[in-house]
Amino acid sequence: MTATTLQEPSHRAMEEAAEWYALLRTGQASAAEQQKWKQWLGRDAEHRQAWSYVERIDRRFSPLQSSPDREAAVSAFHRAISAAPRRRRQVLLGLAGSLGLSWLGWTAWRQTPLSALASVWGTDYQAGVAETRQVALADGTTVWIKALSAFNQAYSDTQRRLQLVTGEILIDTGKDPSRPFIVDTAQGRLQALGTRFSVSQGDAGTLVAVYEGAVRVNPARSGASGIVPAGQQARFTADTLQSLMPADPARESWRHGLLLADGTPLANVVAELRRYHAGHLGLSPEAQQLRVFGSYPLNDVDRALDMLASVLPIRLNRPLPWWVSIALH
Amino acid sequence: MSASQGLSHDFEHLYGNHHHWLLAWVNWRLGNAADAADLAHDAFVRLLTRPCHFENAQQVRAYLRKMANGMCVDLWRRRSLEQAWLEVLAAQPEPTVASAEQQAMVLEALGEIDTMLRELPPKVAHAFVMAVACEMTDNEVAATLNVSSRMVRKYVAQAMLCCMKLEARLAAGQPETPPIPTAPAPLTVAS
Repeated sequence: MTATTLQEPSHRAMEEAAEWYALLRTGQASAAEQQKWKQWLGRDAEHRQAWSYVERIDRRFSPLQSSPDREAAVSAFHRAISAAPRRRRQVLLGLAGSLGLSWLGWTAWRQTPLSALASVWGTDYQAGVAETRQVALADGTTVWIKALSAFNQAYSDTQRRLQLVTGEILIDTGKDPSRPFIVDTAQGRLQALGTRFSVSQGDAGTLVAVYEGAVRVNPARSGASGIVPAGQQARFTADTLQSLMPADPARESWRHGLLLADGTPLANVVAELRRYHAGHLGLSPEAQQLRVFGSYPLNDVDRALDMLASVLPIRLNRPLPWWVSIALH
Repeated sequence: MSASQGLSHDFEHLYGNHHHWLLAWVNWRLGNAADAADLAHDAFVRLLTRPCHFENAQQVRAYLRKMANGMCVDLWRRRSLEQAWLEVLAAQPEPTVASAEQQAMVLEALGEIDTMLRELPPKVAHAFVMAVACEMTDNEVAATLNVSSRMVRKYVAQAMLCCMKLEARLAAGQPETPPIPTAPAPLTVAS
């Protein structure tokens, strides 16, 4: 480090200060050693500067030192730092899979928990913020990709396979009786039985909503499978398939640029609008549980917000053009 | 007055041209739209508080990507700390007497300490935190880690020096460089 500023202590001074600290904190320094430390401190402004760093760093520990749970805190720290390098390798592994032979590498990396984070970079199709993309595949299948979503395509002679990497897609399958149509998510496999359906992948699981035909669901780690008929939806994780519920029309409405709310918490509505809003969209905690009903345009977030403000007890703050915050009246 | 207007104009320009892109990039990295929106927002706030001069759009994006990448790593580390802290508390035989605020303060302090000690080998960081946070003697730490107490003294000095160097970098106004090996940048970016 070059000495560009006089105030900054040299490496040597910092090293000495750190060594003094390691000795003095034990309380085992002899009187002679303490005297030597005082002399060291008095000798140079640089030493005093370095020592002030030591004191500042030591003070950061005081909330821990005074906590009754300090041993617990330290073991939590140890647990977290021991886990960190392993996670990093998983991310890199995921990246290698998605950049290289993405389909062959897939089986390996789909099992890493963080694969979704690194995965979109190599995907075949994706939609960015504030856009819904419509893609026509060679077999006559149409796929609508929701904002901030992505999937891979792998068609072979024997099957048509899509991998939903992140987000949500709506699929209208083309007719091809000789090749089954399969969608894989992190949580399992779906087989379309001549159909129109949406697949949404989140942390909590995959949600499949079927509008026409039917879809067979195979959770990844469960031997069981189930069929979701038209008009129904089901959520599943790698281990379980939850019971059927009526399909939410909102799952299909986004492809028309509409957000349908039916008693939906405002927090969820705002989370959805954020996909379509380029700026900051904040929501105060008190307003999160307000119930929203009606349909709102996704392609005009400002208008959607004004509409919300006209039916809910909320106030919109727009201090800057790209900054909107929502609070209770 | 005019200077600040110029700054806010530049900033709006940067925001308008790159926020979209950054948000999409961060979302891909995190896989969570709400976290991504917060993080991308914070990145621009940092840019606003630490204005930089850029020659071209490529430089802006390289800078934003580096900053956002560091912030993603921070977020993951904070989350895993939080998770570990909750797990350890849940596994305690006796429920904690600390209030929610006190617990939050502990977590906050742990996060700060984790940021300071990130460059160190886990064993060194663990020794330092045990010694200082729990005010354990060198011998006690040595027994826990199965090393000599001389080694513990060395670890403590090494960790303190590492924190001091970070402190010095921050004092000199240099941006803190993320030392974590980061994933290579995506080849293409659609926005």
